[in-house]
Formats: sequence, C-alpha cells, structure tokens
Amino acid sequence: MSGMGGGIVIIPMLTLLGVDIKHAIAISILSVIATSSGSASAYIRDHITNLKVGMFLEMFTIVGALAGAKITLAISPKPLYIAFGLVLLGSWLALLLARHTMWHTGAQDRFTQWLELEGSYPDQALGEVVHYKARRAYFGAPLMFGAGLIAGLLGIGAGAVKVLIHDLVMGLPPKVSTTTSNMIIGVTALAGTSVYLVAGLISPQLAAPVILGIALGAFLGTRLLVRMTNQAVRTFFLIVLLILAVEMIVRGMRGGI
Amino acid sequence: MNDERNKERLAASQGETTLDIDMDLLVGYILLIGVSVSLVLVLAALIWRWRETGRVEFDYQITGMNFFEFLVTEIRLAVHGSLRPRLLLSLGIIALMLTPFLRVLASMLYFMVALRNWKYSVFTAFVLAVLTYSLFLR
Repeated sequence: MSGMGGGIVIIPMLTLLGVDIKHAIAISILSVIATSSGSASAYIRDHITNLKVGMFLEMFTIVGALAGAKITLAISPKPLYIAFGLVLLGSWLALLLARHTMWHTGAQDRFTQWLELEGSYPDQALGEVVHYKARRAYFGAPLMFGAGLIAGLLGIGAGAVKVLIHDLVMGLPPKVSTTTSNMIIGVTALAGTSVYLVAGLISPQLAAPVILGIALGAFLGTRLLVRMTNQAVRTFFLIVLLILAVEMIVRGMRGGI
Repeated sequence: MNDERNKERLAASQGETTLDIDMDLLVGYILLIGVSVSLVLVLAALIWRWRETGRVEFDYQITGMNFFEFLVTEIRLAVHGSLRPRLLLSLGIIALMLTPFLRVLASMLYFMVALRNWKYSVFTAFVLAVLTYSLFLR
C-alpha cells in the first residue's frame, strides 16, 4: 500500500499479541513479499513502475537486507524496538519537511544518464502522460543500501525510506517512486526472508494467517492509490507514519515490551 | 550508410517500445500468478486443517534448513503422495519465495535476449546471483 509493505503495521500488532519480536520480524518480511509483489503487479501492468530504476537499485538493497537480517539475529530485542521507532519518526519528519516541494523534472547528470534512468507514465488523476528523468543515482544507490539494511534488520519493506530516496534524491515523480519502491521491496524482502528461514524463525503457524490478512489489505490499498492524486498520497503517508512512530517510541520507552 | 544505420536504430527503438510493454505485462503477471498461487495454497491449507481438526493452528517448525533443502524436503513429501494441510502451507511459502526470484530471472533473460542491453543484463545477473546465494545460505 502506497509503497509500504505493511510490515510496519504487522510487527507492532504481533508483538502486542505476545509474539517475540524476532519471530514477528521474520514473519513480517515473508508477508512483505506477498504485499509488495501483489500490488507491484498491478502498477507494473499499468506502466507506472520504472523497471530499470528498480533493477539498478535492487543491487544495493538486497546486499543491505542480507547484512541487516544477520545483525538482527545477532543482537538483543531491545535495540530493535528503539530502531523501529526511530526509523518511523525519521521517515515522518523528512516527509513533513518535504511536503511543499512540488515535483518537477530536472537536469540529469552523466552517470544517471548512462544508467538510462528515465521514463514516462500515464497519470490517471492528471489525465496525461508524465515524462521524467531521474538524477543523482550515484547518491541514491548507497542510500538504498541503507534502506535495504533497515528492511532486513526490522523486517519491514522500508517503503517509506525508499520513497524518500526516490523523491528527494533521485527526483522521481511521487507515483513512480512509490510503485518502483514496491517492486524493489519484494526482492529485498526475499533476501531477508532467506536469512530468517535458515535461522528457523519462519513459523508456519504464524505465517498462514498473517500472509492472508495482509494480502487482503494490500489488494484494497492498491485499487485506491491509482485513483488518488499525488498530494492525497502524501497526506495519507504523513498520517499513517505519525501514528505508528508515536506508538513504537512509547513502547520503546517502556523497555521494549 | 548513415541512413541505413539510422533506420536500424529506429527499428530497434521501435522494437524496444513494443517489447517494453510486453515486459511490463510479463513481469506483472509473474508477480500476480506467483502471489495468487501462494495465497490459494495457504488458504486451502487453513481450510483443510480446520475441517480435519477444528483448529487452524499448525504445530510444525522449519528449522535448520535453507530454502533449497526446504524445497527438496517438501517436494519429496508431495511425490510420496502424503498430501496434507501442512504440505500445502509449505508449498504456499515456497511459491511466495520463488515469486520475486522468478521475476528477476525473467527480467534478466529479457534484458539479455530481447533488448541485448548488456548493462542491465549484468545488473540483473548480479541481483539473481545474490538472491541465489541467499537461498543457499547456511
């Protein structure tokens, strides 16, 4: 939904139900494959997603995800709660500050041009085809490694982080950035899931209801996004991120219970 | 001479446009079918389990196996005809994990064969290699 995999909601819920946070992270990242692939499917067929941007950035996110998942296996649960809250709050703040920057196509640097990172997509809300050129891929790529690290570490799609990098650093139009983020998330989540599977943290009993429930939610979210304006998508993001950030930080201060 | 080259280039770029659209559809449908198969298997597992035992809980664990060992174990069970809710659930998880993997594989073949775009063939091959490595992790 809106470039977010849904893990950000699932993990707080599962831990509230008494599931150990590492198991919650493992199940979440598995279910993230379902949500991101499910909604990415529709966006790709609608020609909004930029496959080249996605493939290029995936090189960095999957390596990050492997490293992140390895770290989670090694550390204690408490820092995970705190990291979760901080990631949420950081995403929210950055998005809030960027609220008034309207998207516009800009000059492209040589490296990004060499990577052929540009495209066009039909915008249903505007009723026209939008052309765009990405920029600063040299800066976006290492940041995407960080996004992958967070995804693997916390078992979330880290869609909000990826969208920020696409929007603010690489200058992609909001719809392209959310949908391309969605595609990247699926592959990144798979890398993380493999690590958790070997560690024995993927519990089939938890997996079944979580996968089904989250897939239903994502399906409905996707149908909605295509019909929303860029501004509405942003506003929606702001509200969801704020609620979750406050919730996780309060829980972190209580000592990770 | 120049004219011919331009014509070739034009044809190539037109070819690319049509193929790009096919690629979007192909990738889109791989994801859609992969996730759908997985969801159907998981749902079927839950319903079967519920009808058999009146509960929807499963009490087995996947431990000490990487993806390919898990895959081989479950396929062996399937071949031996011991079709049970548990097997359906495992196959659902396997289908889900294979979905992005197949998507990357298809993208790589597309960049290699249809577009002959060496840059993106290398990029997708790298992604595929890292994913394959992760599925074989111990």
